[in-house]
Amino acid sequence: MIKVVIFIVTVVITVAMIPLALAATARSMSTKKPRIHFVQDMDNQPKFRAQHSNDLFLDGRAMRPPVAGTVARGNLKEDSHYNLGVVNDAWATTFPAQVRVDMDLLQRGRARFNIYCTPCHGYAGYGDGMVNKRAQEILENSDPAVVKGSTWVQPKSLHEQLISEQPIGQLFNTITNGVRTMSGYAAQIPLADRWAIVAYVKALQKSQDANLNDLPADQRRDLPTIKLFKEPN
Amino acid sequence: MPSVGILGAAAPVYAFFLVSYGFSPIATDVGYQPEQPVPYSHRIHVGQLGIDCRYCHNTVEVAAKAAIPPTQTCMNCHTQVYKESINLTALFDSYATGMPVKWKRVHDLPDYAYFNHSAHVNRGVSCVECHGRVDKMEEIKQEKPLNMGWCLDCHRKPQGRVRDPLTVTDLGWRFEDDSAAKAQFKTFEDYSEFWLKHNNISPSQDCSTCHR
Repeated sequence: MIKVVIFIVTVVITVAMIPLALAATARSMSTKKPRIHFVQDMDNQPKFRAQHSNDLFLDGRAMRPPVAGTVARGNLKEDSHYNLGVVNDAWATTFPAQVRVDMDLLQRGRARFNIYCTPCHGYAGYGDGMVNKRAQEILENSDPAVVKGSTWVQPKSLHEQLISEQPIGQLFNTITNGVRTMSGYAAQIPLADRWAIVAYVKALQKSQDANLNDLPADQRRDLPTIKLFKEPN
Repeated sequence: MPSVGILGAAAPVYAFFLVSYGFSPIATDVGYQPEQPVPYSHRIHVGQLGIDCRYCHNTVEVAAKAAIPPTQTCMNCHTQVYKESINLTALFDSYATGMPVKWKRVHDLPDYAYFNHSAHVNRGVSCVECHGRVDKMEEIKQEKPLNMGWCLDCHRKPQGRVRDPLTVTDLGWRFEDDSAAKAQFKTFEDYSEFWLKHNNISPSQDCSTCHR
């Protein structure tokens, strides 16, 4: 009798270990399978939120793209100076009235430039960003299995004369609609931020092509004391 | 039959332990790493190339949702780079047909929770707090439990989690490595306290903050 009891207890304890072992596995491993969902509550509701899918439509998008040829209210973009960088059928040479060029705008422009432009153009704008470096690296490889059909045109340096002499409106248009191999960024960067980037690029160009006389006299005196690089200890 | 008695007494303890251990979101939710239609590597794009989170997830500062980028964003570079890669087939198909790439959602809150990305990143809660070191992930994996108790942990004690909003997308940022911050503040908690005051942040714990 006692042997039977010991047997049963052993079996029960052993079986009881199995769920614990499964739980321990679930806690420590990653899984490709959809997560286990014990209590449904109303976690998944039959409604559509941003970027959800909807099988009712052929493309599966719950968010419907605007019908071609329509304009949403308030989006007519009548002001060609602000929206296109064009004044009287020529590239604008001034900033539109909606854009106030001040330090805040330049700071905003710098932050946005560093997000959207530096991957290719580099932080100083010489066309030597990390994506450019990586693309060159790939192309240097002679193995077609590595190159995988890549092509690459080095991004323009923003300090080339051809570009630094461009009117503001043309710069704005390049960011908006792209040029040559560069895609347009109208969808990624809102209108006001594109103008901020234009302002920052103008400042960046000036910074790389400045001479001593561009500085106010009182700051010129301080120049020799400014250290550009931190000296090693 | 004392052994049966012991087993009977142990059973509720066992059940309690099993449920709290095995049914916890750490067991059921953390570690989800689905296979995506395109094996996009955050480790290469973010970690190596240093592309800012906002280059692709560009709505994160102004909207509730940090949008999954449209195919066009990928094609900014991939009209040139890796034009013949079989890994990118789904991407090229999408570009040619206009059909979206069917990315699988990894971080998914219940539909009755209204999380707002912009409210967090603009106040200095870094992406890394909820998504982990994405810049080191080959494929995206859920690292945090994302359950309500876990949200509230931070809402009750944001010190040591909130930082300068300008550095939120710097996933590798550590207080210990930030010499400017360390010169002024003793601990990350003090540093957070400064930003909480500076930006006038007091995280709400009202039900209606997230459930509406």
